[in-house]
Amino acid sequence: MASVTLEKVAKSYGSHKVIHGADLNVKDGEFVVFVGPSGCGKSTLLRMIAGLEDITSGDVSIGETRVTDMVPGDRGVAMVFQSYALYPHMDVARNMSFGLRMQGNDKADTDARVGNASVVLQLKQLLARLPKQLSGGQRQRVAIGRAIVRKPQVFLFDEPLSNLDAELRVQMRVEIARLHSELAATMIYVTHDQTEAMTLADRIVVLRDGNIEQVGSPLELYHDPDTAFVAGFIGSPRMNFLAGRTENWADGLQSVALVNHGDKIVKIPTRSALATGEEVTVGVRPEHLLAGKAAVGGFAITADVVEHLGATTYIYAGARSENPLIVARTDDHADTVGDQVTILPQVGKAHLFDTNGMRIR
Amino acid sequence: MRPRSLTAFGFLAPYLLIFASFWLWPIIYSFYLSFMSTRRLPWTFNPKMTWGRVVQDPAFYNALENTLTILAIQVPVMLFLATLLAVMLNSTLLRARGLIRFAFFAPVVIGEAAYAAVFRLMFNTEFGVINKVIESVGLPPVEWFSNPDAAMALIIMAVTWRWVGYNAIIILAGLQSIPQDVYEAATLDRVSPRQQFLYITLPLLKPVILFCLVLSVIGSMQLFAEPYLITNVGGPGGATETLGLYLYRQAFLNLNFGYASAVAYTIAALAVMISALNLWIGRDKT
Ligand SMILES: Nc1ncnc2c1ncn2[C@@H]1O[C@H](COP(=O)(O)OP(=O)(O)O)[C@@H](O)[C@H]1O
Ligand SMILES: [Mg+2]
Repeated sequence: MASVTLEKVAKSYGSHKVIHGADLNVKDGEFVVFVGPSGCGKSTLLRMIAGLEDITSGDVSIGETRVTDMVPGDRGVAMVFQSYALYPHMDVARNMSFGLRMQGNDKADTDARVGNASVVLQLKQLLARLPKQLSGGQRQRVAIGRAIVRKPQVFLFDEPLSNLDAELRVQMRVEIARLHSELAATMIYVTHDQTEAMTLADRIVVLRDGNIEQVGSPLELYHDPDTAFVAGFIGSPRMNFLAGRTENWADGLQSVALVNHGDKIVKIPTRSALATGEEVTVGVRPEHLLAGKAAVGGFAITADVVEHLGATTYIYAGARSENPLIVARTDDHADTVGDQVTILPQVGKAHLFDTNGMRIR
Repeated sequence: MRPRSLTAFGFLAPYLLIFASFWLWPIIYSFYLSFMSTRRLPWTFNPKMTWGRVVQDPAFYNALENTLTILAIQVPVMLFLATLLAVMLNSTLLRARGLIRFAFFAPVVIGEAAYAAVFRLMFNTEFGVINKVIESVGLPPVEWFSNPDAAMALIIMAVTWRWVGYNAIIILAGLQSIPQDVYEAATLDRVSPRQQFLYITLPLLKPVILFCLVLSVIGSMQLFAEPYLITNVGGPGGATETLGLYLYRQAFLNLNFGYASAVAYTIAALAVMISALNLWIGRDKT
């Protein structure tokens, strides 16, 4: 096992810059997830670590070794692809052993490793099948098995669950988490799905347009986002963003008038006062909005859509606008469409962002 | 029949008519002919003169032997070269790919007479460029048209030149259908490019190469233009006479249509048998 270090890693396709100098240190045995919207450069960054893409500038090290100019096979990384990338003409056992056999690895050792991986991944019954005779989940397990057999320093996953249906995705997610704790291996995992990121990661790296936006543990990102982008990307349903205007500041609390909600004042902790009359954005998660009786002194919204999930009820206001307000109610209240609901941000749970989307602390 | 089907058949009728009269009917009629002695009028039912003759005619066996020799040498050599060429054409290092791909495909669209004329010129014993090159390295000139073995080699080279690009394009399509990430996975598995070619590319190309093999076998069994146009109608002395040429001689020079029909059916049967054998040997054993 080994750490992975990126230093000012950048990638361009011709004049098109895709990664703008990424710095990152993945610790030995850590599970790091790259997350971000489609096209932000997650796969490119992962493939640069694997050696499948040239690095335009900067350096990649695995353990103590600089691998920037090393061929992929020498880097000690194994990769699991979204498309599985199994060898179509080889059965499961041969898919897993192919690399070792080609290197002339001792046959008994190869067999032992394949046997071991097939136990870990419950592939014992499938060893003689061809990939086309397997389900998506089974194929992905074979692809993971092929990675395990190599005993790599670092595991790389590129959206490994994206081709699976929702139920299987949850199941495989748990399996990957179990695998990580069993192998205690360094893993870097790419996904566009924030739920996968939140559930699997020791640390999450949020990417946006080829830049690392923020790095932190799932809860750090959830509770203390640096930017509105991270705040909006992490957490489901999405954080609400309300237009505001700064008012006075006192005792560490900045008063902000919510301009679309009758200039209702909310108080958000900040270190220093902002100039009065500034345009700002107030971010507050659906689950941090008090509703009904708890929201004394709040403001009223009209429920356009109501989703009852049992434990939680989601109320959407302004559903037709581009930025609907979502409230998550867990207090067992049977709201219906058209109801007026009083809401109020929980004290200390709302965040303030400037017009560039940067957090104001 | 429902009116809708009638309309459909109405539209199909011109094609079906042409198909029946120029395709189906000759097949049926030649089968009938293959039992008829057509040496003199009136034609009489006499399979001994047709099918009986096929199995014991030394000229037929000569043509068969020549054809199988060409097939056994030319087809493997050509498919080997076509595979190499396809890999080369697929390389990302190659510039002006479209143009080069067309260039290798071009022989197929060139008229047979023109291509044969060029080969005759190039291989001309006294002033052909090939012999000039051979002589320039100090070797004696090759009698391409009067030495039986040289003539055979010439036919093999000509046929290979004409069809290698065509097969390469088919194999290229097969290459391009292999997903790139399989190679990426192999690269990460520390599988060398040579091993990737042997253990991934070739096995995955097998169905395509098998397809090319069957096409080539059928083509070789019908080989006609090259021995007719390049080596002077199967010369020297029948050394390059192929089954196609022999059939042509029997039918259109000797006007012995009954015997020619029996030969034609024999060629077709052999082609089917060899192709079936190829497919059986190359079948997926899983
Ligand atoms: N081979 C390539 N040539 C040019 N641009 C590319 C190439 N591969 C990816 N890109 C661009 O790089 C960006 C990042 O791609 P990618 O890493 O695949 O994103 P993600 O995996 O986050 O969806 C995208 O804008 C994409 O269009
Ligand atoms: Mg991707």
